[in-house]
Amino acid sequence: MMVPTILALGGGGFTMETDTTALDDFVLTLAGRREPRILFLPTASGDPREQIGRFHATFGDRACEPSVLSLFRLAYVTRSLRDIVLSQDIVYVGGGSMRNLLAIWRVHRLDAILREAWERGIVLAGLSAGAMCWFQGGVTTSSGCPEPTPGLGLLPGSLSVHADSEPARRPVLHRAIRDGVLPPGYVADDGAGLLFRGTGLERAVSSRPAARAYRVEAIGDAIVETPILPTYLGCAARPERPVPFDVREFRQIRYGGAHRG
Amino acid sequence: MADRLRQIVAFGGGGFSMEPGNPLLDDYVVGLTGRERPRVCFVPTASGDADHYVVRFYRAFGAGRCEPSHVSLFRRDRGAGAVEGDLAAHLLGQDVIYVGGGSVISMLGAWRAHGLPEVLAEAWGGGTVLCGLSAGSLCWFTEAVTAFHGSPQRVEGLGLLPWSNCVHYDGEPSRRREYLRFVGDGMGPGYAADDGAALRFVGTELAEVVCSRPGKGAHRVEVRDGEVVEERIEGRYLGAAPAVLAAA
Repeated sequence: MMVPTILALGGGGFTMETDTTALDDFVLTLAGRREPRILFLPTASGDPREQIGRFHATFGDRACEPSVLSLFRLAYVTRSLRDIVLSQDIVYVGGGSMRNLLAIWRVHRLDAILREAWERGIVLAGLSAGAMCWFQGGVTTSSGCPEPTPGLGLLPGSLSVHADSEPARRPVLHRAIRDGVLPPGYVADDGAGLLFRGTGLERAVSSRPAARAYRVEAIGDAIVETPILPTYLGCAARPERPVPFDVREFRQIRYGGAHRG
Repeated sequence: MADRLRQIVAFGGGGFSMEPGNPLLDDYVVGLTGRERPRVCFVPTASGDADHYVVRFYRAFGAGRCEPSHVSLFRRDRGAGAVEGDLAAHLLGQDVIYVGGGSVISMLGAWRAHGLPEVLAEAWGGGTVLCGLSAGSLCWFTEAVTAFHGSPQRVEGLGLLPWSNCVHYDGEPSRRREYLRFVGDGMGPGYAADDGAALRFVGTELAEVVCSRPGKGAHRVEVRDGEVVEERIEGRYLGAAPAVLAAA
């Protein structure tokens, strides 16, 4: 049985980064299977077709079985949501409105199903709202201005995302921790991911050399941030589509060794 | 505003998103406001605020005919043309709040997270006409039948109207079958509407049934003497009478 695993991204991955697939490739390595089943949940953005298209464009070409669960388009879904989720190796949650995400999950009872999935060792991954949702709380802009909001609480502590690209969130996290509204926790830049095994942080990874994460604690009245240096996963540029075997063979015959396929 | 009626128009199906080129139901709702250029706000939550749906709303409710706007609960931080800031104040200032179709369960979940049920109840009390199709109809009632995930199931609505509701009554036979069964099993009495028909409530009572296609209508469904009874209510056709068309 796999250890409960969560990868929380401060931002990045296929919905945000067009120049690297490092984090998406890393997600696939976490399942411990050659071709993991990966389910995308775009709930937090209202299941937009554009995000779903990008998911298929990214994972359709990789060694995995990708599928999408849209809670706004269940009309032709015959299996129960629990069956669908528990038959996965990885659940990847997109960004958007954290408040809507949790409210909609609750009415479909997906909060309980995802907890069960996590306990069974199905890897939970996500960015932004899809990262903060696993913690006791986060800083959301669901209503416009950044404000603290509770999460599912699978992981102890809090998380604030987009630390480098949306600097207004961080002071809100600090104040919330100081006021006892949120527990101490983490902030993460775009491109930085925190990997949790069980409820403990195992390590941080990144798709950008400069991306950082920080542990945030309250010591007396002061808020102290300690940098966490992520392992840089390298800039795996989006590969060209793999050339099918028959085409490669054709080129070999047609052009000899001169053409690289 | 105090003397304005509390009105809800619940479409069984129809309006700009289901009947392209047939504006009769939408025109009817706009007409109920008694205003030359009413403020009409679209709430597409049940579709996940789908862009194409919002675009079609603005096409149908152009600025020449009304003051259109829309509310996005998924993109409150990014504007994207939607109302920003004080949602409640915006909604309370509308003549019509038009709720789109989609998943009623997801919609009600998101609404509750943003405090919309209280705001919509207040808007209704203040004379804003509430309307919508499908999920945008079911939501106003105490209970309703949704068939958005697999077989039809019961769902609790906002309860502004103390009835049950079923939509697409002539279009999806399984809904009718299940609605009759639910009412037999203790769901409260209520109204079912065909595609192309709309129920207009004044206060909490049904005032009339109108339709955008001849022959469409509604049913009152209730238990009488232990039997589930369906009583047909013909819709008043909102278009020109066919005979007149033939003569012209």
